[in-house]
Amino acid sequence: MEPENPVPPAIRHVELKAALLLLLMVALVAGFVLYVLYARGAFQETQKLVLIADDSEGIAVGANLTFSGFPVGRVQRIELSQNGKAKIEVEVPVKDVHWLRTTSVFTLERGLVGGARLRAFTGNLDDPPLPAGAEREVLRGDATEQLPVLLARMRQVLDHMEHITADDSDLNAILANLRAVSTSLTGRYGALGGLLGGDENAKKVIEALDRSNALLASLGDVSAKLGSTLDKTDARVFGAGGVMDQTQQAVVQLNAVLSDARSSLKKADAVLVEAQKVGANTAAATEDLAALRAEVEASVRKISSLIDEVNRKWPFKRDTEIKLP
Amino acid sequence: MEPIASRLRRAGFAAVAFATALTPAAYDPAARRVAANQIYFSAWQILPGFTLVCAALSWLLIRIVIRISNEFGLSAYALEVTVRVLVLELIPLFAALFVGLRSGAAINTEVVLMHIRGDLDVLQRAGRDPLRHELVPRVIGSAVSVTLLAFLNCAVALLLTYYVMYGASPWGLPQFLRITGEVFSPLATIGLSLKTLLFGVVVAAIPITSALAVPRLQRMAPVAVMRGMVSLMLALVVIEGTFLAITYI
Repeated sequence: MEPENPVPPAIRHVELKAALLLLLMVALVAGFVLYVLYARGAFQETQKLVLIADDSEGIAVGANLTFSGFPVGRVQRIELSQNGKAKIEVEVPVKDVHWLRTTSVFTLERGLVGGARLRAFTGNLDDPPLPAGAEREVLRGDATEQLPVLLARMRQVLDHMEHITADDSDLNAILANLRAVSTSLTGRYGALGGLLGGDENAKKVIEALDRSNALLASLGDVSAKLGSTLDKTDARVFGAGGVMDQTQQAVVQLNAVLSDARSSLKKADAVLVEAQKVGANTAAATEDLAALRAEVEASVRKISSLIDEVNRKWPFKRDTEIKLP
Repeated sequence: MEPIASRLRRAGFAAVAFATALTPAAYDPAARRVAANQIYFSAWQILPGFTLVCAALSWLLIRIVIRISNEFGLSAYALEVTVRVLVLELIPLFAALFVGLRSGAAINTEVVLMHIRGDLDVLQRAGRDPLRHELVPRVIGSAVSVTLLAFLNCAVALLLTYYVMYGASPWGLPQFLRITGEVFSPLATIGLSLKTLLFGVVVAAIPITSALAVPRLQRMAPVAVMRGMVSLMLALVVIEGTFLAITYI
């Protein structure tokens, strides 16, 4: 028995249409796979950069590394390194790697909304380019993690404020003292009473001032007397026939005496020159005397020997020999 | 209530259908004709209309997401949210639901009638394997249809998203590529492909199993269709939920 027409009437080119759809499906799936590979950078040449962070919270695989707001890299892997720090491996496409230099700074920022953001800053684009596989420390900036510290400090500040404004606080004591001072400022002796701590003291100061004034007046008299004394002294010393004039005359006389003395000295000097000459002559004469003495001695010796000779030859010579029997 | 054995049988049928679909020997001219017919009915006939409706809904959703993102100051996340919600989740589910309601119900009715009338036994007696010649080609046809509709409309949705976000300017392309590249992680891509394939298989397999599970009584035909549709709905929800959990948890 044949089935009761289970298949509807034949459709024209049904297999062709099905094949077309099948082709379309294959093309779509292949296109989708290629698109995903391209979008994920599978066809891009990349360079590795390792960022070391204290805490990688908020960073996920696939997160971007941005430079001036433009993504220049993508987190490929996050792991805990041997020293307990987070090691974030970033793949940077070779076409974008020129934005990163050896002096570049990397930051990890956490906002109140969304995940953490990795950012790169390059101060000088002329610095040497970042080598492949470079390791860099990440600076952290976190809006929320400062909040507890901020709150703690705020509390501290508020405690201080409370302490300052308490009833027994130093500030209150100062204000009370200030009030006392201002009250005394408006008293009989004004600021002086306030400064010296009472009207009695202020009174004493005023009395002392009065006495000083009296003292100053008597000092004025003394100075006037001293002035007249000085005038008189001036007249005695510097006036006509005063000490100064006499002194001047004495000086003139002394001058004349000195001139005389100078001429006497000159004469003495000439005498001395003469004496020097005499001395020199005496010295020369003394030298001649020595020679003369020598000659005299020689002559005496000759005469002596001559006398001896004469004595020997002289018949009357005295017999000097003792003849023994 | 459907017995557990029946559910297992259904899972078994889906597995057998999948295995048969991967066997080249199964594609003889008769089976190919049934599969071609199924693709024609499930995909060719509805392709323009479905694409249009899907594009309109996508456009609406994209606008809503972008507007709300802007209002909350989260416009940077608009593209990612749109692609995740629309391309990864809604469009494949929408395609599976559409094919299931249209072709799944038809397959269910057709197979239950063949089952009640004994057409399948007749085929078997004539030396033709009803599984290979009548049932598996329908599953293959449905799978191709769901995959085709899902991927085509995902592409349309991506184009629409780009247009709504950046207009006709090409300058948004690098950012668009980068963000969609992040969304289509290996896990998400494999998940999307596997999920779409599973949707395509269950859209025909569950109605067929439901049809074959009822006693051969004329009055049981509507019951079989009802059970098939409910089971299909549940299966789609379970698959979607499972993949969501795997991707995001």
